[in-house]
Amino acid sequence: MLSLPSTFSLLAASVLSPVTILILCVVAGVGTVLLLPGKREATIRWIGGVILLAALLIFIALVVRQGAGQRGEGVYFWLFSGIAVISAIRVVSHAKPVYSALYFVLTVLAVAGLFVLLWAEFMAAALILIYAGAILVTYVFVIMLASQAHSGATGQPAEGAEYDRVSREPVLASAVGFALMGVLLFVIFEKSEGMVRGGNAAVAGDAASEGGAVRALGAYLFSDQLLTLELAGLLLTVSMVGAVIIARRYVAEGAGETRPEVIVSPATPLDDDPHSIPVYGTRNPVAKAYPET
Amino acid sequence: MTVLVLQRYLAVGAILFVIGLIGFMTRRNLIVLFLSTELMFQGIAVNFIAFGRYHMGQGFFHGQAFVVFLLVIAAAEASLALGLVVLLFRRRNTLDADAWRELKG
Repeated sequence: MLSLPSTFSLLAASVLSPVTILILCVVAGVGTVLLLPGKREATIRWIGGVILLAALLIFIALVVRQGAGQRGEGVYFWLFSGIAVISAIRVVSHAKPVYSALYFVLTVLAVAGLFVLLWAEFMAAALILIYAGAILVTYVFVIMLASQAHSGATGQPAEGAEYDRVSREPVLASAVGFALMGVLLFVIFEKSEGMVRGGNAAVAGDAASEGGAVRALGAYLFSDQLLTLELAGLLLTVSMVGAVIIARRYVAEGAGETRPEVIVSPATPLDDDPHSIPVYGTRNPVAKAYPET
Repeated sequence: MTVLVLQRYLAVGAILFVIGLIGFMTRRNLIVLFLSTELMFQGIAVNFIAFGRYHMGQGFFHGQAFVVFLLVIAAAEASLALGLVVLLFRRRNTLDADAWRELKG
C-alpha cells in the first residue's frame, strides 16, 4: 500500500490518519460513558448507544474506503466482526448479568466464525465447545444461584441490584480504554510494515485444503509442545481441585428450621482474638473448643 | 493485499480487548467482571490466529496452538474465579466488588 504511487493510495493514507483515529476514539468514548449503566434515564443511554454505533460505522466506512478496489475478505468478515463487537458492547453495558452472559455467547459464536474465516476450524469448534458449552454454563449457574439467593433473602426490586445499575468511574475507564484503543489502532494501521511475511498464503492454503491443518496442529502440539501440553493438563487438574476446596462449605447438622450454621473455609479471623477463628472438621464440642492458655 | 485483511482482524481483536478492559474497570458485579476478562481473552485469541494465519508462514498453526493453551488458561481461570465468587458471595451476601473495599489497604 505504501509503495503504490497513485493518488488513491495518498487518499487512503490520509483517510485513516492518527487525527481521524483520535477523533473517532473520543466520540466513541463519550458514547461509552453515556451508554454504561448509571443513574441516568434510558433515553440518554440510547443516545450513547447511537453515538457509539455511529462511531463504529464511520470507522468501518473508513476502513472499507481504505481498501476499496482491492480484494477484501468478503461479507462474512463484516457480519461476524459486527456481531462480535456489538454484542461485546452489550456484554459490558447491560445491567442484568444473565443478559451479559447470553450476549457473551453471541460474541463467542461470532469469534468462532472469524476463526473459520482464518482457516482455524478446529479452534472454532473448540471455542464453541469450551466457551459456549462449558464456561458459560458455569457462569450462568453461578448467576442463577446468586440472584436466587439474593432475591429470596432481601427481596430486591425487579430492576436488579444497585451495583449492577450504577457503574464505577465510567469517564476514567473510558478514557483509559479508548486511549489504549487509539494507540493500538494507530500501530495497526500506520506501522504495518513487516506484519505480513510473503509466500505464506499458498503454503497454508495447501495444508488447509488437504485437511491436514488439524493433523499438523496435533503433531505440533504432541511433539514440539509436549511438555507445555502436559503442564496445561496439570494446571487444569490443580485448578479443579482448587475450585472444589475453595467453594466447599460445611453445614452443621441438626440446625433445624433456622438457617444452618455455615462455616466457610479457609477461616479468616475477624479480629486479633484467636478464639474468634471458627474451628471446623469435628462435631465434638470438646475438640472444637480452644485450649485455654 | 493481505496486509489490509490482517489489519482488519487485528482491529477487531483490539476493539474486543478494549471493550473487555472498559467493562473490567467499570462494572461492579463480580461475575460481569470475570465475563469482561473472558472478552479480553477473545480479542487476544483473534490476534493470535490472525497473526498465525498471515505472519507465521510454514507454521501457520502455531497461533492456533497458542490459542489452545489460552483456552486452558481461560477454563482454569473461570473455575477458580467462580469458586472465589461463590465464596465471597457467601461471606457478604452480595456480588458487589465494592463490598471488599478494605482489600485496597
